[in-house]
Amino acid sequence: MANEEVLRLENISKSFGGVKALNNVSLSLAKKKIVGLIGPNGAGKSTLFNVVTSFYKPDQGRVFLEGRCITGVTPYKICRKGIGRTFQLVKTFTSMTAYENVVVGALYGHKLRGKDAQKSAMEALELVDLADKKDVVTSHMTLSDRRLLEVARALASMPIVVLLDEPMAGLNPTEIVKMLQIINRAREERDMGILWVEHKVDAVFHLCDHVAVLDYGVKIAEDTPENVAHDTKVIEAYLGKEAVKR
Amino acid sequence: MSKQPFLSGKKGVLGVILLIIFLSALPIVLEAEESYFIYFLYISFIYITVAQGWNLVAGYAGQVSLGQHAFFGIGAYVTAMSWDAGLTGYLDPVAMFSSGAIAALLAVIIGLPLLGKLRDDYFALGTLGFAEILRVVFIQGKDITGGPIGIMLPSGRYAGMTPYYYISLGIAVLTLVCIWFLIRSRFGLGFVAIREDEQAAEANGIPLLRSKILAFSIGAFFTGLCGSLTAYYSFHIHPGGVFTLTWGLLPLLMTILGGIGTFWGPVIGAVLLAGVFELANMWMPELHTLISGLFIVLVTMFMPNGVVSLVKGGDGPPFLYRIGPFRSLFGQSNTGRVSDGAYENGAENTIQR
Repeated sequence: MANEEVLRLENISKSFGGVKALNNVSLSLAKKKIVGLIGPNGAGKSTLFNVVTSFYKPDQGRVFLEGRCITGVTPYKICRKGIGRTFQLVKTFTSMTAYENVVVGALYGHKLRGKDAQKSAMEALELVDLADKKDVVTSHMTLSDRRLLEVARALASMPIVVLLDEPMAGLNPTEIVKMLQIINRAREERDMGILWVEHKVDAVFHLCDHVAVLDYGVKIAEDTPENVAHDTKVIEAYLGKEAVKR
Repeated sequence: MSKQPFLSGKKGVLGVILLIIFLSALPIVLEAEESYFIYFLYISFIYITVAQGWNLVAGYAGQVSLGQHAFFGIGAYVTAMSWDAGLTGYLDPVAMFSSGAIAALLAVIIGLPLLGKLRDDYFALGTLGFAEILRVVFIQGKDITGGPIGIMLPSGRYAGMTPYYYISLGIAVLTLVCIWFLIRSRFGLGFVAIREDEQAAEANGIPLLRSKILAFSIGAFFTGLCGSLTAYYSFHIHPGGVFTLTWGLLPLLMTILGGIGTFWGPVIGAVLLAGVFELANMWMPELHTLISGLFIVLVTMFMPNGVVSLVKGGDGPPFLYRIGPFRSLFGQSNTGRVSDGAYENGAENTIQR
């Protein structure tokens, strides 16, 4: 089924002290789809990711994975239930080799054992084109490779939903093209939905089926990339009221 | 870049087996009851075990405990109290196993709040505080613990140095074999993942608290075994002797000198430091602490990755490589090295929980 919903957020709210980081945000993600999440700095994008992965507990609202409520489940169980993620500041296990990094995802994220874990890890490495660097220690890899490695590690846990937290940050144009190809390949080869936070708006518009825009913790728009690009609220959020008048 | 640790593979296994056979034969060749060397090896085996126990928790799982003496002391007291009460006998394997098991149980109980709520420096301070509390409890324990004087055991039962030598050798081998397999299993991989990045480990399905407690309690078990054997050796257990910070700090020093987070580091460090202590004590008793201290400072200055980095194939870069003139000898062996990976380490945005 093409339109099978895998992730649903219902009226999520989260405050830090007096600041409402997320205000009544709802979102839906279907299998084989990519939803982009954009917004100015401090709009609540990363907070939303941390709510979905249970690093934060929402003040209100619920998170559903394939129809089952997963709000408040501990982060490691969230991963085992099928939500993989990458981090804005890459968090690879630096003293391990690329293969060891990815096999962690297979062993712990999906409780695979022995040959199955090896197979899953190698498949994930091949998907991101890092199979030839499997024995390189992570601290010796470029930023671009480490970002790809994080994607592979998330994929090795056989996720239903993958959250990408600014995978393009710090990459040069060539590396961005490569990352785009790999995100697209991941969508085509795996049965999963991708939720993608990104600052590089052109990259998001290039690949996403839907784009949601957050501003001050409120979802101000969600539509196809073309419509979002012409939405007055979105232009206002990014460029200010003056830009809309013109 | 090869990550093959040294003394692995078929040759390594053969070497280790030969070494164990050699060590087992030593008391027969040397006069066990007279030989100072046998005593030296006995104390080294205990140091190796305690150091490797700490290395598992701090070196692999990244949880720096400063309270290993709590487990050492508990092990000693369980053995002494159960013998005193007539429940167990002299050099009783049941008593020794129970001592380790109770130390491990204690690690689970104390690990739940400490590992669950505290991190890094705070965890270290928490374990230190816990061990100190335990010491005071045993001092104030009146008749149950024997108070500050402790428990006297029937020293007439002393059966000579030979059994102690073999038991300590056995404990050290058992510890090393267990930890060797553990760090090569998925548990070991999980420990290192937690050390490298807790958040990423958790986001990849590793149960943080459970894994940390596992490492902590296994370390405590082996430390407790050593405490138990020490109780049988000294025949007098008192809080100032077994709950002393020495047993918390020695493993730390030895592991760091040898090479923290490496398998052979604690082994090399324990034997080396025990050797330096004994030699300095023999030749210049009045300067003993000064020499030992100087040695520790020099090693940490010139070999920050530990003595194990001297050995080719050790986990760190070879020591000689870092001294200018020798650099050309080693050449550019680090294939696949693209950058030092220090891109974004400055601004870690840790999530508040």
